[in-house]
Amino acid sequence: MRTKALLVMLCSTALLASACGGGGPQSAAAGGGLSDGKVVFGVLNDQSGAYSQLSGKNSIKAVELAIADYQEKYGDKAVVKEFGVETADHQNKPDVANAKAAELYDRKAVDVILDVPTSSAALKVADVAKEKKKLYFNISAATTDLTGKSCNKYTFHYAYDTYMLANGTGRNTTEEGKKNWYIVYPDYAFGQDMEKSFSAAVEAAGGKIVGRDAAPFPNTSGDFSTYLLKAPTLTPKPDVLGTMQAGAELVALVKQYNEFKLRDKGVGLAVGLMFLTDIHSLTPAALAGTTYTDAWYWNYDLTNRTFADRFKTAAGVRPTFAHAANYSAALQYLEAVQAAGTDGSDAVVKQLEGKTVSDLFLRNGKIRAEDHRVVHDAYLAQVKAPAEVTEEWDYVKILRTIPAAEAFRTPSPDCKL
Amino acid sequence: MSEQSAPEQETAAAGSVAVEDQAVGVRAEARATATGTPVPAGGTIVPRWLRWALVGSALVVALWLPNGLYPTVAVDIACWALFAVAVDLLLGYTGLMSFGHAAFWGTSAYATGLAAINWGLPFPVAVLLGALAAVVLAIPVGYLAVKRVGIYFAMVTLAFAQMVYYIANQWRSVTQGENGLQRVPRELFGLDLTDEYYFYYAALPIVAGGLFLVWRAVHSPFGRVLVAIRDNPARARALGYPVHRYKLAAFLLSAFTAGLGGGLFAIGHRFVSLDVLHWTTSGKAVIIVVLGGIGTLWGPVVGAAGVTRLEDWLSFAGFEQIGLVTGAIFVLTVLIFRRGLWGTLAHWLRRR
Repeated sequence: MRTKALLVMLCSTALLASACGGGGPQSAAAGGGLSDGKVVFGVLNDQSGAYSQLSGKNSIKAVELAIADYQEKYGDKAVVKEFGVETADHQNKPDVANAKAAELYDRKAVDVILDVPTSSAALKVADVAKEKKKLYFNISAATTDLTGKSCNKYTFHYAYDTYMLANGTGRNTTEEGKKNWYIVYPDYAFGQDMEKSFSAAVEAAGGKIVGRDAAPFPNTSGDFSTYLLKAPTLTPKPDVLGTMQAGAELVALVKQYNEFKLRDKGVGLAVGLMFLTDIHSLTPAALAGTTYTDAWYWNYDLTNRTFADRFKTAAGVRPTFAHAANYSAALQYLEAVQAAGTDGSDAVVKQLEGKTVSDLFLRNGKIRAEDHRVVHDAYLAQVKAPAEVTEEWDYVKILRTIPAAEAFRTPSPDCKL
Repeated sequence: MSEQSAPEQETAAAGSVAVEDQAVGVRAEARATATGTPVPAGGTIVPRWLRWALVGSALVVALWLPNGLYPTVAVDIACWALFAVAVDLLLGYTGLMSFGHAAFWGTSAYATGLAAINWGLPFPVAVLLGALAAVVLAIPVGYLAVKRVGIYFAMVTLAFAQMVYYIANQWRSVTQGENGLQRVPRELFGLDLTDEYYFYYAALPIVAGGLFLVWRAVHSPFGRVLVAIRDNPARARALGYPVHRYKLAAFLLSAFTAGLGGGLFAIGHRFVSLDVLHWTTSGKAVIIVVLGGIGTLWGPVVGAAGVTRLEDWLSFAGFEQIGLVTGAIFVLTVLIFRRGLWGTLAHWLRRR
């Protein structure tokens, strides 16, 4: 009787552990054709936290638009007939991103991961892509390490990076005569990299960093008063407070900057990275006159505007540059699969490397073979005064175009693909 | 606080589920020990052959696991099983509820990661170094903490764990702060362990070793003394046992086992983030032990498998509020099945 009882316990343990199975080691898809007969995109990003507005769930809509355009362009000749879009929330944590990325590649048959904001998470996903030998287009993370010491054969850095932002905003602001900078940055890969890039750009343009402070990330309290109170007391007094915060943290900081009336105290504001959704949350009045570097703007020309209209129908908002870049990356991936006739990673990488492209997002674009940096035109933008805003979401005027060759750094010697 | 007041504290602490629930099983066990026959928590005598059958079946399940499960999850189960058993050694057999065990799990994870990254050591050596680092940390923490019991012990361990968390967060040059230790190598004499499936088998001996270590300790005279201390520290002292020293030894052994798990976790994920030191990690370990069954050793292993599998299943299904489900199950367990999964099952089957 007792023996039987214990045996029942044993069986139940076994059942509990197995519940439903996953299978042994996975073998990579080899040869021609499509793995599983279809192409599956994996959109991995922040869907609940500080960066959920700038890309988030709407990036899935952008990928779906790309799929629709691919189908329309190739019709019956399309190599890819079936599509899937999987998604996961990485909560801006590298460990969650690590687990989710592996899960997308291994268990959801994802062929390419897109998006991945938050540099620390983005770098971790690059490792996973390398390990699994699957493609990864990073859109919304900024760290130059993705094309530096952490670069690999399967990772492409698509939209922007800290060099692009610093070279545009940092140099331009300093050349305007705001020489003394106080930099506040979030303390993780992105912020640290931004601080380095901005310091270099400002100093190269003849400016000086009079103070730099790392703010905790994620900043759960949303309180930046320490830095804002400190700014006017520094000697020499900074001409400009350079904030490297992004997303909801930037919004909080700018609100507090206005509450402390730092502009009246002679401390201007420079923003390291800003998305359209940030301006929308803050209203243009809070940011009027601020210049920053943009990778793409929806109302720049008719092509962009047409896409923005389609996007608005699908998502209800105007696209940020991250949305446009997700669209573009999905499209370029499908084009490469079309050309290669297979979704085998190595064949697709071969198609992409060194390719010159022009599409909605990539103007004068080139996918560099040396470090997988995707270079393209960038823009110096300025937030309009409230009186100039005539249409919702049209908050920015483009001051000048930064040509692709100038916008990005030359391939780093640290990168060995 | 002097030792004289210990029994009062013990009584006070008995209000918490853990200790109170323990009392029944352990006294039975302590009684049975006097007759020299090994018995499980409930007091039934288990034939030797069945004990071996149980161990044998567990081995079979362990060997089969990555074939039936996503191998990454199998590795996680193995690591958490070690961690939970370490907590059970204190909670179930010494009557000490540690709420800061993430400090040892996490310290070992970082130490293992750093050893693997900087010196390129084979992973078992790195894991062993990590576990030893956890023991080194456990010496001062344990020395101070074991002077308290019940809720005070839990608070002291939690306080130390939080200190370690913030040190790791601030000590960026070593821990890389929020970025975490990335690209921890998985080295073993040039074998290709990139695939989690193979890594699981490479790690299994370490897990089995750690579990055996705790099992051996619990079923030794040393373990009997621990149980005696838990049930009546004053009497144990009166019998001449140095109570604090025994508790400290159990604490160090527990830290070592948790360290083995933490080190394997770091190698398994090839990554160490601040989360390994977060108090929620300590909490999860306690939850696993309570769900599985306090003071059963088998229970925490089953609990680790159940919780990890459930979390994975929920997250795979796209359900993000995992805490809601595990929390609800925890509340139900505490209210209805206080002996935990394994404990209740054993108890219920024995009654029939």
